Amino acid sequence: MGFLDTLPVTIMQWVRSALSPYLPVWGSELVVALAKVVLALVVGIMPVIVFTWMERKVLARGQDRFGPNVAGPFGLIVAFADAIKILTKEDVIPAAADKPAFRLAPALILIPALLVIAVIPFGRGAIAADLNVGVLYVIAMGSMTALAVLTASWSSGNKYSLVSAFRAVAQLVSYEVPMAFALLAVVLVSGSLSTVRIVEAQAVPFALTMPIAAAVYFLCALAEANRSPFDLLEGESELVAGFNLEYSGMKFAMVYIGEYLHIFLIGALTTTLFLGGYRGPILPGWFWFFAKSLFVVFVVLWIRTTWPRFRIDQMLDFAWKFLVPLAMANLVVVAVAYKITSDVYMGAGLSLLANLLLLTATVVLLVAWARRSKSRRVRALILGEV
Amino acid sequence: MLGRGMLKGLWVTLRHMMATYTSGPRRFPRRYVSGGVLERPEPDMRGMFTLQYPFERYCMFPRFRGVLAQLRDPENGQPRCTACMACERACPHGVISIVAEGKGKERRPKEYTYNLGRCIFCRLCVEACPFDAIEMTHVYEVTSTTSNQVLNMQDLLELGDAANIHHAGEDWQ
Amino acid sequence: MVITDRGEIATETVTINLGPHHPSTHGVFRMVVTLDGETVVDMVPKFGYLHRGIEKLAEERTYVQTMPLVDRLDYICPMTNEHAFCLAIEKLAGLEVPERAEYIRVIMDELTRIMSHILAAGFLWNELGATFTPMIYAFRQRENLMDLFEMASGARMFHNYIRPGGVVADLPEGWVTQARKVLDTLDRFLDEFDALTAENEIFLVRAIDVGVLPAQLAVNCGISGPVLRASGVRYDVRLAEPYSVYDRFDFEVPIQKHGDVYDRYRQYIAETHQSIRIIRQALDALPEGPVRNEKAKRLRPPVGEAYARIESPKGDLGFYLVSEGGQQPYRCHIRSSCLMNLTALRQMVIGHKIQDLVIIFGSINVTMADIDR
Repeated sequence: MGFLDTLPVTIMQWVRSALSPYLPVWGSELVVALAKVVLALVVGIMPVIVFTWMERKVLARGQDRFGPNVAGPFGLIVAFADAIKILTKEDVIPAAADKPAFRLAPALILIPALLVIAVIPFGRGAIAADLNVGVLYVIAMGSMTALAVLTASWSSGNKYSLVSAFRAVAQLVSYEVPMAFALLAVVLVSGSLSTVRIVEAQAVPFALTMPIAAAVYFLCALAEANRSPFDLLEGESELVAGFNLEYSGMKFAMVYIGEYLHIFLIGALTTTLFLGGYRGPILPGWFWFFAKSLFVVFVVLWIRTTWPRFRIDQMLDFAWKFLVPLAMANLVVVAVAYKITSDVYMGAGLSLLANLLLLTATVVLLVAWARRSKSRRVRALILGEV
Repeated sequence: MLGRGMLKGLWVTLRHMMATYTSGPRRFPRRYVSGGVLERPEPDMRGMFTLQYPFERYCMFPRFRGVLAQLRDPENGQPRCTACMACERACPHGVISIVAEGKGKERRPKEYTYNLGRCIFCRLCVEACPFDAIEMTHVYEVTSTTSNQVLNMQDLLELGDAANIHHAGEDWQ
Repeated sequence: MVITDRGEIATETVTINLGPHHPSTHGVFRMVVTLDGETVVDMVPKFGYLHRGIEKLAEERTYVQTMPLVDRLDYICPMTNEHAFCLAIEKLAGLEVPERAEYIRVIMDELTRIMSHILAAGFLWNELGATFTPMIYAFRQRENLMDLFEMASGARMFHNYIRPGGVVADLPEGWVTQARKVLDTLDRFLDEFDALTAENEIFLVRAIDVGVLPAQLAVNCGISGPVLRASGVRYDVRLAEPYSVYDRFDFEVPIQKHGDVYDRYRQYIAETHQSIRIIRQALDALPEGPVRNEKAKRLRPPVGEAYARIESPKGDLGFYLVSEGGQQPYRCHIRSSCLMNLTALRQMVIGHKIQDLVIIFGSINVTMADIDR
């Protein structure tokens, strides 16, 4: 399967060689770069369309019902039907809104998400821009979400949106810290910030060698993407859609796509950083990449079907008081484990052992604390005494 | 405790997801088979629960209270109604209004209007009728474009003929 | 930024309107909430959006014609409304009810209680944010129960089945077998629902010690029903003033200790188990006989007044009837359990966050139709 595996690279080579007789070097490079951009956008946005369909189907199946099955066979056309519906809606701008900011905010939500697609390796050599600071770039783009959400809700001129904005900033900013620590562990072990090198360094996937970092990263990514159980920004049962309350028509479509793109990026980044990216036997690399990221997306939806949501102060407590110390301890433990030996597999095994010890120590500490606590809530949560 | 409850919940949802493919009358590969009147499922059926109305319908139970209908006497094919006004008096909302003609044994309703828009399908009129002339059918698909859809004697007789009711109150013994 | 002379930052409170159109209020209900950041400082409930004038309409209709209106009082549990109304009429007119009819009434009441409590538990999870899944599992069981009601009375929701002097008609063939099957399915559903919901850590963290209703406050406010029993007061109209044939059945009245949202949830599930127990005993002991008192068809109660109350799934539901000897009541007043339960909401909510306000309101399980009548 070598040909299929390196298909994207082959295509770019062919474009370059087809154009080089006619254009100077910078010309054909420019065209190749533009082709990469277009291909990256298509490959990045297509899963979003699949994902909107998948969400409705998975949620429905968990609830003993069909989900969309009338628009197209198995409801596959439903994403396009949704798109047409959204585009034909009237674009309402409230009178009390701050108009330039109101118009700008959906773009601020969508564009950073699109920019992250550039550093995701979809297959061997199939990456739009192999930055050597890839992970830092991802974290930076993720931080833009806080600013974008704040702009969107402030400029709506609506009290509900404002209450939602307060929570949004707190949540998004708080969950970047444990995410950074979890990613630090990955970067430390693989020795580079570049996403391609991280994938290449995963002879054993990092989810097996540092499961704590994987779990912490997954939860933080869920919080950054406003997904259950951290989805109180769009808590339908409380504030009726929060910051995107006043948006309709194309602006809402952009917010919507940005949100779903974030969720696909959770899947893509978890795959790249923890599940071994495009590595896998027999089948071409991009197939493994999409299979793994779709599995992660399925877990995200499965969680949405089942769990209720947290309250804002409980969420912040969870981030600062539990995830941050855990991620820091994990970083230290993994660094020590990998420093002891120089063999990759030995280091992986030691790191797994160290993680399990850390987990046991955490449980023991939590149980000891809960036994001495008088709060009914703490005792129910940790000791199971309801 | 410590995450075990959340994982148990995830397992329950996953079992439901798998059951929609593996059990029940709509299990794989007959998932999207649809059409016709279906039997009600057993209470302990697992799997897909959706009824794909209007491609599928359930058969109503015998006592179901649908639209009112006028019944005929099976011997001579005449409507049984004698315009005694018992149903008009029994109705809580003034849905039925009758104009009678004739006297004694030839008393018949000249006009019998039934305002479907106001009916609440409570069956008090049927209980009040001493001649078993009206009964409720199983018709429930009564959408219309006006809020006061009025049926007259002819419409009600047609509903009664189509409903295949042998005599009023047969399921209520 | 305004800094007061004590050096603190001056903040203002925000007044928002959790308006009548809202995905999470149980019906059309408006709350004017004053917030300080996220914390609720004051809450003023405003209801009346669903007022239909049932008490006035009852004065212009005969007793049997009012029965469909009374059904629509608390539409989640219609049979108990009818039963309460019929108890009041029977007290007023001195009617006897045959024994088989009493047993059938008890079975229908308890089935309605199960329906209402399952809905309460399901909707509470909806407001917690679990994207409808526990609610749909609960509603699937409600479908089974509504099928039972359709077999007996002809309609899934507004049954018009219980009449003064008995019930309209006897149970059809095969109803008892079907009811037993439904009860077995309910047992299995409750186990599965427990596995899905009862130990979920997010639920524990959000519901324990939230919305505590102290027992003394509950008694002072006139709260009744599962909300009162979850606060630790063992008061049930079926025990305090037994009506129908409840004194022949062996059942417990569970109570909980703390009166927070979690305890109310546990109370709904525990009472559902007890209801299943009562129905099984009633099905086993169902006697033969007539189901309707024939004298009750032409109803002219003597001059007088009567008040009768039952334990509806929401609480203590009472009907006060005044008769002047005619076929229509002179006055019909409804002591609505949900309205009394709503009066303590303000005290329960002040000091909590706005997300807690939504689940506290969901946990007391009121139906606006009963409040506004």
